[in-house]
Amino acid sequence: MLEVKNIEKYYGSRNNVTKALDRVSFQVADGEFIAIMGASGSGKTTLLNCISTIDTVSAGDILLDGESIADLSSRELARFRREKLGFVFQDFNLLDTLTIEENIGLALSLNHVDPRAVQEKVRNVAQKLNISDILDKFPYQISGGQKQRAACARAMVAGQSLLLADEPTGALDSKASKNLLEIMTQMNEEMGATILMVTHDAYSASYARRVLFLKDGRLFNELLRGERGRGVFYHEILDVLALLGGDISDVL
Amino acid sequence: MTYFKLSLRNARRQARDYLVYFSTIVMVAALLYAFNGLIFSQELQSLALQMRTLPMMIVMVSVVVIAIISWLVSYTINFMLTRRSREFGIYVLIGLENTQVARLFFLENMAVGGCALGLGILLGNLFYQMLRAIVLTLFGAPYTFSFVFSLRAVGLTLLCFALIYLFAQLKSRKRIRFMKIHELIYFDRQNEKAVIRTGKRRRKVFTLSLVLGVLGTLMLMTGYLPFGIAGATCIIIFLYAFFLSFASGVPAYFDKRQEKKYRGQNLLVFRTLTSKLATMGVVMATIALLFTATLVSEGFGLILQGLFYGRARENSCFDIMIGISDLRQDQGDYIEYLHDNVSVEAERQYQVYQGDNAQVRDYLLKNTTYYAYHQYDILMAYSDYAALREMLGYSEVTLEQGQYLIHCRTYLEDLFNEYTQSISVGGQSLGAKSVHSEPLGQYGWEVNGSDYILVVPDALAEQCPVSHLLYVALTGEPISEEQYTELNYIRKVRSQYHDYDNIIVGAQEEREAASWTAMTVFPLYYLALVLTMTAATILTIQLLSESGRYRRQFGLLQKLGMDSREMAGALRRQFAVYYAMPAIPPLLIGIPVLWDLTLMPEPGILTGISHPAVIMGIAVGLYLLVYAIYVLLAYTSLKRSVLPE
Repeated sequence: MLEVKNIEKYYGSRNNVTKALDRVSFQVADGEFIAIMGASGSGKTTLLNCISTIDTVSAGDILLDGESIADLSSRELARFRREKLGFVFQDFNLLDTLTIEENIGLALSLNHVDPRAVQEKVRNVAQKLNISDILDKFPYQISGGQKQRAACARAMVAGQSLLLADEPTGALDSKASKNLLEIMTQMNEEMGATILMVTHDAYSASYARRVLFLKDGRLFNELLRGERGRGVFYHEILDVLALLGGDISDVL
Repeated sequence: MTYFKLSLRNARRQARDYLVYFSTIVMVAALLYAFNGLIFSQELQSLALQMRTLPMMIVMVSVVVIAIISWLVSYTINFMLTRRSREFGIYVLIGLENTQVARLFFLENMAVGGCALGLGILLGNLFYQMLRAIVLTLFGAPYTFSFVFSLRAVGLTLLCFALIYLFAQLKSRKRIRFMKIHELIYFDRQNEKAVIRTGKRRRKVFTLSLVLGVLGTLMLMTGYLPFGIAGATCIIIFLYAFFLSFASGVPAYFDKRQEKKYRGQNLLVFRTLTSKLATMGVVMATIALLFTATLVSEGFGLILQGLFYGRARENSCFDIMIGISDLRQDQGDYIEYLHDNVSVEAERQYQVYQGDNAQVRDYLLKNTTYYAYHQYDILMAYSDYAALREMLGYSEVTLEQGQYLIHCRTYLEDLFNEYTQSISVGGQSLGAKSVHSEPLGQYGWEVNGSDYILVVPDALAEQCPVSHLLYVALTGEPISEEQYTELNYIRKVRSQYHDYDNIIVGAQEEREAASWTAMTVFPLYYLALVLTMTAATILTIQLLSESGRYRRQFGLLQKLGMDSREMAGALRRQFAVYYAMPAIPPLLIGIPVLWDLTLMPEPGILTGISHPAVIMGIAVGLYLLVYAIYVLLAYTSLKRSVLPE
């Protein structure tokens, strides 16, 4: 469903160019759960921003469902984002002024869904993600884990086909992280959501079915979980990170 | 880096971040200086005796202005304290003592206040020249530019500012001294809770507030002082109760109507409003109150101005007019004085007569609002009328035997044009001929009729009993204030033995109108301007300080796929609702109250540019204009800073 072809991204002026992404190519199939790993400054977030159309690529092409996002106007991009992409950010990005139910419903209202159907759809998703009892609360009244689950609900309530998660467990304690990752796995396995998650945490990455490693803007390695257990996969990821060098402190 | 440097740097940042507030403070300093200049201006006070009470009026208004601005400064400083609590927390964290932080903040505010004062005094000189030009024009005196820098005015402005800041600083100093680091750093961004929780109570308060609002407006419209005070109290309660219950009711309204909540941008607009329920309710009510006061001051100023000039205009066609009701007397003493002291160019001494009945007066009483001064219609002999017309340079009018004509004030003209009945004088019937309405000194007691006079053939008039004696004259130069005082002295001496005579001096009427205008209308406008500026500043500060929150909101909405046109639309709607809310109740209260006030003066006074409809238009227009300037400023700066590229 997602195809990234040879994309490059440069920052800076002519004399001082930083290559944030260097000929990165990969494909994501429908229903996959992929993690992208790398140290700070390896280009993970830049890659995610390019896929999410918040940033543009300097060269190369990104195709989603066969559609090249470079050809779209800003209005079409906006439509593309609200119809096809769901976001989960490290710092939750829920609106303080809206209740959880409204934060989730916002995605529907942006998509001009019939206002009468909003509440029911929100409640359905909330039930699946186990946040039904906090729907009428404001973000400051709930825990980080609950906020992140609310963000997941928002990211899929409007039927978006690709969920982009940027360090979703970054601000959570280990228990809440585990809970969230299980929810994401459930979303992936039971609801068929395609998930692309950026993380530098090996534990989080071990929940994915496939892990891509970025180093200095280039794809460095790829690991497939296959039939192995999560524990084994976790250790394999740690091995690759050790190979990446110097970043083990980030990992542990 | 010393504290002083840090304070200066913060002051610069404060002036930039709170530009609207800073501009308002500069404007206030300028206005204070300009009006203080009037207090000390010998030139303007020598224009008329009454102008000597001008300083008193200005000082009274200045006290109110200082109180309002103190509140604004104190509010803003407190607001900044809350907004910048994290910054202050860091100062304390790195080892500054609370008193040092308080001193830092004090210095910063002194620097801002000092700059505003300096700029304000410069701008104030310009305002002062404008005020001076207006006052001189009011008195018909020539305006010549002369640069006036009054040290005393600067001193007084300085004193006003010192009072304003002293009051505001005391509060903030105390607050900083007792703040804890934890409180400072972990200032929470919580939504406020609804003040009135349960729906039943909210509905009760809301209904009660509406009832009080209508009741208060009606009571204000009675124009009776005790009712007026009670009415104003009702209005104040109404505004606070209304905004608090209304704000609390909005979420409940949308909770019950999901389909409305999620339609278009409703969700964002209503949630922005309700996130600051408690404070916004109070702020909105206070602002609505300030706006109501603004509107009423502006309208009242215009009405007073119309009243003063309307009255002066009616009777200033003659340079002097003396009416005597005591028929055993004549105007001899006055005429003698005038001939000795003033160059009289034209004069006439005559009588007006009592008609057989009050037929015409009754017609007026039946068909319009008319203040009847006499129990009968007043008649004038044609020869006197023709002579008066000639004196005033009006066109000649003829009158045949068997006819009468009507001379009236303009407001009665249409009514008399429809009046075709004949009248009876000394048993003879006269047919209506024509109606005229040039100024003829017809306003008040012992004048040419009472708003109207019937002109009849001489022979018939002379058969009737005399109503009162009149003397009118045109002079070479206007009668001076000293001469008017002396004429008054003559009247005083005469009144020991006789009825009080009616002396109307054209120049004096105009001087008085100008003095009253300068003394009442100026201060009212001054107050109105300060009130609007204060209210608009607070609204704008509130809104602009939320720009970080708005920016985050729109940044997120962009990621979620809202397109830029929809975002601009949502911002516009959030903005429009925010600024319209406190502006509407004042219009609903102010317009009927003002309308009622315009009906208080005698009929026929508020005409032309002082017509009630024009006054309403100007008052509402002025109020909306000043407000619109702030709204526009706030909108452009908000749009620039919060909408993503």
